[in-house]
Amino acid sequence: MSSRRPRSWQPSSASRITDEQINDLVSKLQAVLPEARIRRSDRVSAAKVLQETCNYIRSLHREVDDLSERLSELLASTESSSAQAAIIRSLLM
Amino acid sequence: MQATKSFEQAFLKQMLLGIQLSAVSHTTGSLQERKSAIKLSADVAMAVARGSKKWTRGLIASLSKEEQNRSFLQFVLGKEFERPAKICHSSWKIPRSKNIVRRSLRFLSKRQSNIRAPNSSVLAGTLVEKRTQVLKRLVPGGESMDAFSLLDETLDYATCLQAQVDVMQKLMTTLEASKHSRRADSDAQCPKEKFHLLAMVGSWYSTRKGLRKRLSKRPKLTL
Repeated sequence: MSSRRPRSWQPSSASRITDEQINDLVSKLQAVLPEARIRRSDRVSAAKVLQETCNYIRSLHREVDDLSERLSELLASTESSSAQAAIIRSLLM
Repeated sequence: MQATKSFEQAFLKQMLLGIQLSAVSHTTGSLQERKSAIKLSADVAMAVARGSKKWTRGLIASLSKEEQNRSFLQFVLGKEFERPAKICHSSWKIPRSKNIVRRSLRFLSKRQSNIRAPNSSVLAGTLVEKRTQVLKRLVPGGESMDAFSLLDETLDYATCLQAQVDVMQKLMTTLEASKHSRRADSDAQCPKEKFHLLAMVGSWYSTRKGLRKRLSKRPKLTL
């Protein structure tokens, strides 16, 4: 029922989004999140899933940032032939 | 997103290309500049490897807002980048007639005047609202998405981010490992595309002159 949903969840187009579709997406999101944080397999509130998703995305951003820094240091100091070999190896994984 | 492995490979290739393209700053720039260059390569690679999604377009749009990113973006994306209308805010469908606009506005205002009933749907509540607003800021292009698209795009975005982190970590560990070992690997068995990649990486360490020469061989972009 559209009247039960908060304002931002009412779709801007005229098509009807069913609760089932939304539930499906929420559970898929829950599945993507790192397991350790959400132990229960179902019955987790959407708000909780959204919160965990926000935290997860933020932590991934931080990791990318950190990795970029370390990679740039590493690339600046590594030798050419060994770097070539390393990249080939990483492709093989 | 099903084919993570192919995404990871496409991402790696794109990222290595990007690193090569921005190689000029690698020996000369400050740590911050070098880090930004790597991060830019990684983000653009992720967007390119994924293809056309709302969040990828949003990501390119936000990256292009910064002056220092523009030449890199232009080079990597070519024609795609020159058409800003395509890249900017993604989820609005332009109404084709006044009637449609009027009808949608009436429809929307009717819905907004409905009173919220407490907790009868999985998505009810102000907490969900709050979290949705936060999520909109985290996902590129999220501000202009309706909530359902937001969920869908978030799912895709999170998966790609995870793959990005995974590939960067793998790249790092192999670089670190090879740094400490002195083995020379034989490349005799490598298939064709790996040779191409080898060539790309090899030319990365060539002189600035060589790099400029290589860059000039790429198809010219119309400015």
